[in-house]
Amino acid sequence: MKRFCMALGALGLLLVPMQATAQDKLVVSVWGGSWRDMVANIIGKKFTAETGATVEYITGGTIDRLNKEKLAKGNPESDITFTTSHVGWLYANDGLYEQLDLSKVPNARNLVEQAKISPYHIGTWAYVYTIGYRPDLMKGVAFDSWADLWRPEVKGKLAAPDFDPSHLIVVSAILSGGDAAHWEKGQAKLKELKPSFKAFYTNDANSQQLIANGETPVQVILSMNAHYMAGEGVPIKLVIPKEGAVLGIDTIAIMKGSKKQDLAYKFINVALDPQVQAEVANFKKGSPVVSNAKLDPAVAKLPGVFTTPEQWSKQAIIIDHKLRAEKTAEWRKWFAENIMN
Amino acid sequence: MANRPLLRLLVIPAALCALGFLAALAAVMQYSLRAYVPGSLEAGGFTLANFAALMKPLYARVFFDTVWISFLTAAFTLVLGYPLAYALVHAGNIALKSAILVITVSPLFLGEVVRTYSWIIVLGNSGFVNSMLLKAGLIEQPLQLMFTQFGVVTALVHVTLPLMVIMLAAALAHIDRDYERAAASLGAGPVRAFLTVTLPLSTPGIIAGVTTAFAWTFSAFATPQLIGGGRVNMISNLVYQLGFASFNFPFAASLSVAGLLLAFLMLALLRVAARPLERLGPH
Repeated sequence: MKRFCMALGALGLLLVPMQATAQDKLVVSVWGGSWRDMVANIIGKKFTAETGATVEYITGGTIDRLNKEKLAKGNPESDITFTTSHVGWLYANDGLYEQLDLSKVPNARNLVEQAKISPYHIGTWAYVYTIGYRPDLMKGVAFDSWADLWRPEVKGKLAAPDFDPSHLIVVSAILSGGDAAHWEKGQAKLKELKPSFKAFYTNDANSQQLIANGETPVQVILSMNAHYMAGEGVPIKLVIPKEGAVLGIDTIAIMKGSKKQDLAYKFINVALDPQVQAEVANFKKGSPVVSNAKLDPAVAKLPGVFTTPEQWSKQAIIIDHKLRAEKTAEWRKWFAENIMN
Repeated sequence: MANRPLLRLLVIPAALCALGFLAALAAVMQYSLRAYVPGSLEAGGFTLANFAALMKPLYARVFFDTVWISFLTAAFTLVLGYPLAYALVHAGNIALKSAILVITVSPLFLGEVVRTYSWIIVLGNSGFVNSMLLKAGLIEQPLQLMFTQFGVVTALVHVTLPLMVIMLAAALAHIDRDYERAAASLGAGPVRAFLTVTLPLSTPGIIAGVTTAFAWTFSAFATPQLIGGGRVNMISNLVYQLGFASFNFPFAASLSVAGLLLAFLMLALLRVAARPLERLGPH
């Protein structure tokens, strides 16, 4: 009996920290819809299984969440934030992020160089914005280069995002011998593309609808959207132009002032787990950001899904994330004044 | 009011709300006078540069388009809404009355985004309208209805129609039908009785409906954003494009302030324009 009581006592002592952990809750800020579901189902569940801590999700648009955190500076609403790489720089520049100690994230050892965005935020998955088109509606037209968008057959058939012109601005600069830092070199070239635009889409759903109904058979499109539409039976072809496709990386960071930093590091570690990375890539048809993720071969061969160092270096046009954060407003204003209106 | 403490108590929530709105407005005003700092969320020092930048012809055109689209929407909503409201008030059959009411008001129960997406299906190249016209052999190529002012106004009329019908129906219901009967007994036909009696007496409803439709449309966002596809822009779309999508909050604030001033100016002009019509209404 005495031995039984001692065993029970020992078990009780063991359970105390576990119960304390189980009561912990990590607050994660992420986009809504399928993004939130993906993070919850793939990353959150594994995190809870490993730590016993629950996860609460705050969802919203990129700007809404940025504004909220700005107002809550010093006493953040969330412990972890997912956002795009360049918007992440706005958080970082405003002192909203903690500096990361990657020694607390063992899985970060396999992080690809391109996903090391700043001392404050790192990539979690990647995608590209590139040319997607409907071969059934663009018969006899092939897109091997970004320059093909300027072909007369594209006139009045092109759509691009209205929320981010950086892809076409940088591509035009590259085609004109410039780069993101010297984007002015591409202004004249981009103005020549004006007759090709039929519309500008405002979100993913809008993009999908416009290409599915053939309203805009050529788009500068998010690779994940194109793969999703192809899976739905829309005859859409995604190409990686010879100059490369414009890389986008969604990132993760710990909010400054978070009182759950240990848990936050564990969450990031789970997000970079090779198996989790493979699941995310298979689900969203994006690129994993760790080199040891084993993807479904059918997903790995999709255009815009990078799994080798060669693909990362040769197929991606990387706009410096900090420069992009600083230039976005200028690019957006110029694009609205000279191309959209 | 001093003798009615309960009333004073009830005014407090409204006063607090007004205070909140005023504080928000003051924040927007303050932001509109601050400089944008690239790559930062913080606004810079005080400047008039944001307002100076609004002097470009692009912004004047979008401001004009906003007024024009609002005017067209209000006018077409009135033309479509008046017969509906008249039928709603004068229909003898309760089932018909209910059917008109349900059909008219049901758009209010759908979100603006859902309503607008459904219009994309109707107006698209392979949408309902073009499919029917192509099948009927009336056109050989799909008509371009999306990304045009026509498409935007059509969808906006759908948004404002319920408000117009409700306001007009309220005004029409208050008109004593004995006036029409008196006109008829004096030899006026139904058209003349309507034009000389019912229509003038319903002017308060017309003025209220047109003003509301105009003001409602003035701040439209989702419909011009999705149906206009970046080719037809109103002030709110410009605020989104140049401000929020690029984090240039000071410029977005200056656009908002300019848009607000224009809205006040247009509503004042509407009021002046409606004055002669008011004299036609009931005394």
